[in-house]
Amino acid sequence: MKRKIAAAAAIAATLLGAAACGSNDEDAPTTSASGKVDGTGKTLKVWLMVDAQTAWKNVVDDASKRFTEATGAQVTVEYQQWANHLTKLDATLAGADVPDVVELGNTEFPKYVFSGAFAAINPADYENSGSWLAGLKGACDFEGQTYCVPYYAGARVLIYRTDLFKEAGIAAAPKTYDEFLADADKLQTLKKSDPKFGAVYMPGQYWYAAMSWVKSTGGDIAKQDGDKWVGQLSQPQSIEGLQRWVDMVKKYSKADPTKNENEQAGIFAQGTAGMFYGNAWEQGSAEEVKKDPNDPNSTMVPTKVKGKLAAAPMPDVPSFLGGSNLGVTEKSQNKELAAQWVKAFTDSQSMAGLIKANALPNSTALLDKAATENPTIAPSALAAKSSWFTPNAEKWADVEKGAVLQTMLTDILTGKKSVADGAKWADDQINATLNES
Amino acid sequence: MSVVERPATRHAAPPPARPTAKKRKSDKTPWLLAIPALVLLAGLLGYPLIRMVILSFQNMRLRELFSGRTPPWVGFDNYTRVLSDGVFWAVTGRTVAFTIVSVLISVLLGLAIALLMRRVTRGVRLFMVVAMMFVWALPQLVAAQIFRWMTDSDFGVVNYLLDKIPGVDYANHSWFVNPWQGWAVITTLVVWAGIPFLAITLNAGLTQVPKELLEAATMDGATPWQSLRNIILPILKPLVTIVTTLSVIWNFGLFTQAWVLRDGHPEPSFQTLTTYSYTQAFGQSRYSLGSAIAVITVILMLGVMVFYIRQMFKIGEVE
Amino acid sequence: MVAVAPAVRRKRAKSTDDGVLTVGRSRAGTIAANTAGILFSVFMLFPVYWVLNTAFKPANEVLSLTPTLLPKDPTFDNFVSAFRAPLFLENMLNGVIVTLLAVAGALVVGFLAALSIARFKFYGRKAIILVVLVVQLIPFISLLIPLFLMLQQAKLTNSLIGVSITYLVLILPYTVWTLRGFISGIPRELDEAALIDGCSRAQVFWRIILPLTGPGLVATSVYGFIQAWNEFIIINTLNSPDKQNLMAWLLQNQTTRGTAWGPLMAGAIITSIPVVIFFLIIQRNIATGLTAGAVKG
Repeated sequence: MKRKIAAAAAIAATLLGAAACGSNDEDAPTTSASGKVDGTGKTLKVWLMVDAQTAWKNVVDDASKRFTEATGAQVTVEYQQWANHLTKLDATLAGADVPDVVELGNTEFPKYVFSGAFAAINPADYENSGSWLAGLKGACDFEGQTYCVPYYAGARVLIYRTDLFKEAGIAAAPKTYDEFLADADKLQTLKKSDPKFGAVYMPGQYWYAAMSWVKSTGGDIAKQDGDKWVGQLSQPQSIEGLQRWVDMVKKYSKADPTKNENEQAGIFAQGTAGMFYGNAWEQGSAEEVKKDPNDPNSTMVPTKVKGKLAAAPMPDVPSFLGGSNLGVTEKSQNKELAAQWVKAFTDSQSMAGLIKANALPNSTALLDKAATENPTIAPSALAAKSSWFTPNAEKWADVEKGAVLQTMLTDILTGKKSVADGAKWADDQINATLNES
Repeated sequence: MSVVERPATRHAAPPPARPTAKKRKSDKTPWLLAIPALVLLAGLLGYPLIRMVILSFQNMRLRELFSGRTPPWVGFDNYTRVLSDGVFWAVTGRTVAFTIVSVLISVLLGLAIALLMRRVTRGVRLFMVVAMMFVWALPQLVAAQIFRWMTDSDFGVVNYLLDKIPGVDYANHSWFVNPWQGWAVITTLVVWAGIPFLAITLNAGLTQVPKELLEAATMDGATPWQSLRNIILPILKPLVTIVTTLSVIWNFGLFTQAWVLRDGHPEPSFQTLTTYSYTQAFGQSRYSLGSAIAVITVILMLGVMVFYIRQMFKIGEVE
Repeated sequence: MVAVAPAVRRKRAKSTDDGVLTVGRSRAGTIAANTAGILFSVFMLFPVYWVLNTAFKPANEVLSLTPTLLPKDPTFDNFVSAFRAPLFLENMLNGVIVTLLAVAGALVVGFLAALSIARFKFYGRKAIILVVLVVQLIPFISLLIPLFLMLQQAKLTNSLIGVSITYLVLILPYTVWTLRGFISGIPRELDEAALIDGCSRAQVFWRIILPLTGPGLVATSVYGFIQAWNEFIIINTLNSPDKQNLMAWLLQNQTTRGTAWGPLMAGAIITSIPVVIFFLIIQRNIATGLTAGAVKG
């Protein structure tokens, strides 16, 4: 046994050789992105999520090109799938050969920041850092340091069928939640002969949506009380929001209570629903699909709802601010170079590219610009202004991975648990997970 | 090509131990031959197994994984935590129940199909074998993805076909709302994929049942059922034992099917011991807790393994 | 085929009936049995048919609320798409390399060990057999965590070599056990006679045992090939996408915008083809190892 420990210690030593020990060590030096770095002969490894590849590869290429011109270093970008990227990241970060820059969803970041996976950076080095979206930046902060750079955001909006609205005699997008319900009623009446039709498409495990409803009545998922997290879902205001969501879903949605929102655009495109709640770009995915999904330059094929969709902010329901951040890994051998690349990829020029590609920029200062320049994302830029974010707890990602909220929602919708019981159960799970030592 | 040991030879005296030239006591050749395999097994199975046990007494989280530091020792904490957790027992109970039900159905159905294969005409038998070969050859992952696609609530063909039956409304039916239905789908997949091995192996055994015995029995007025019970099954027994044990071991370790059908995030009611351990370790970064669950799983499986190994050992020893 | 071949052969040799074994064969009974057999086969084949059906449909027919039983507009687009998909060809090549390395390694190492336990009586033989049988049954997934940590230290994660060695070990127990069966099948008298004739032990090996186990080696290696080719959990955890195989590719071919079922099913077919072909080659031997002794090959 002793030898084993000795061996482990030796391995630990070699692994630590190149890297500082993580965020808890005092004076962790921040990685600077200012000044000039000579990266000739070096190659930076960057992990981005697949969205960058499908929607704004040109922005990536442009930033890399500018970076190479400035530093002489090359860049290889690997695109990751959302499905299992965290497992793969864990595996890779345990080793010595790590990517230099990693993109993670903003809700995933705190766990990794806490675990010492990322190097501290100096926000002042980055453009627009003064007005970074709070929902993105919050995930980067830990013990007074900043460990990642906001990349892009998405806010969810109401996407609806203009043709059906017209037929039902609805003149404009709903302005209040009551109007939204009234419109749903009208659509339901209009199509009452079609048993497959649901006025709203809302899959049961779409927890970003359900939690937005919780927020709409002043509820919350979890709150920090001293150094403990306390689940808030069984508080009266949260219950009210959950109930509001459940009532709406049960009445208007024909969606599968065990599905999440991943396929909603494709399903909505079948024309059997009147409205859905999604990211701005999902309007495009619902209207046309790539003939060959694996070909970035594929021709587009219109769907049944082509030209019949419009988007508006979901009235009275604050949007979850989703998005991604970029971090420089603690074990990277080229931290300064990595920071330079991140700087190029998040500067105003890159952000302008993202806006063109229907993504929201990383800063409030740019949101208005986005709304005026790109009408497609104007509603979501508006929605982003009143948005919320998941609890900034180290272990929040474990709640997501543990499918706690998803399970609760399915249970409530299918009548397996009452709203109160489901919320109580979820609170217990959240408390146990977030406070686990 | 003798397929099943006939009872006659089975109970005959064991073959007399032959004096061989290889009985020299100090002979090192057999060990030299076996060493490369043993080293590899020890290195890539034995050592990880030991490390898994060690890990289960530590508390390894993401921080330790990244930094490479030795995780703190926590003694039996992980085990007490797992064993006092109702969720774990629910998962265990579910895994056991699924194993029993799925193996029972598979073996009985496999036997029935094997018997059926002896009864049908040649063309039909060939068709059955070809059909089963295709299913058998399909990779597990592919089979699971096919079932996921077929049972999709929006685009799945199963709902579409069921909905065609007059008076049945299966439009947009979600198969995984009700755990019983969800498990019925998983069980169907497992049985469907498992039948070919069982039916074809058992049928191979059946071909060795001496025809004369059956004919004699019929002449003596035995009903088909009596022939089955008194002649066929006793002869098939060793084979049935082994395929049953194998099915138990395979189904107890169910992972891919539940994983894929639930899109990589099985809800609590669709967790089995292996997915639970995997989710704890790789999903929630509780590597030590996951290891403790894996250790318990292996211990639970040992019982069945002993059974299988004893069977195999008997055979290995005879030769 | 495992089942049919002997029966058919026997039939040709001596009888004119249909090889039907069970007693009580009325005409009505045969018709009922045939109907049941055909229904069963159709049920078994339905999912296979459905993959093919899906794979040949254009995208708009795949995602349709009223699926059609045949593609209205059959197309190869999904196959083209799968081949064009990022990393598909690389992963295919990786799969081939990893599988071949693992199978070749397992055959060499496994054959020696099989020889040892099949042909020698020595102290410890039982222990070796026990080890081989036990490790064959340990669920590999449960070892993933330590295995991963270990390969990490050896700098063998994210490399084809690391995965090849892992797969080698994965298929080794089965290889040893099956080859042991084949070697035991060679009458000992043959070696003994050769030894008496003055052959050395090495010559016995090269001239008698190796040639006679030829078919066994083929069967074992193909089974190993299938095992290694079908594995995805280990490679998916140990390696990054460019160093994975086709199974892992299939697992991951999902985008944020939902699964592209058409290309996925086409990819699944492409991935399954080598397995199906190899499977058909060795199907009569495949059960042998698992049930060795109870069914003798």
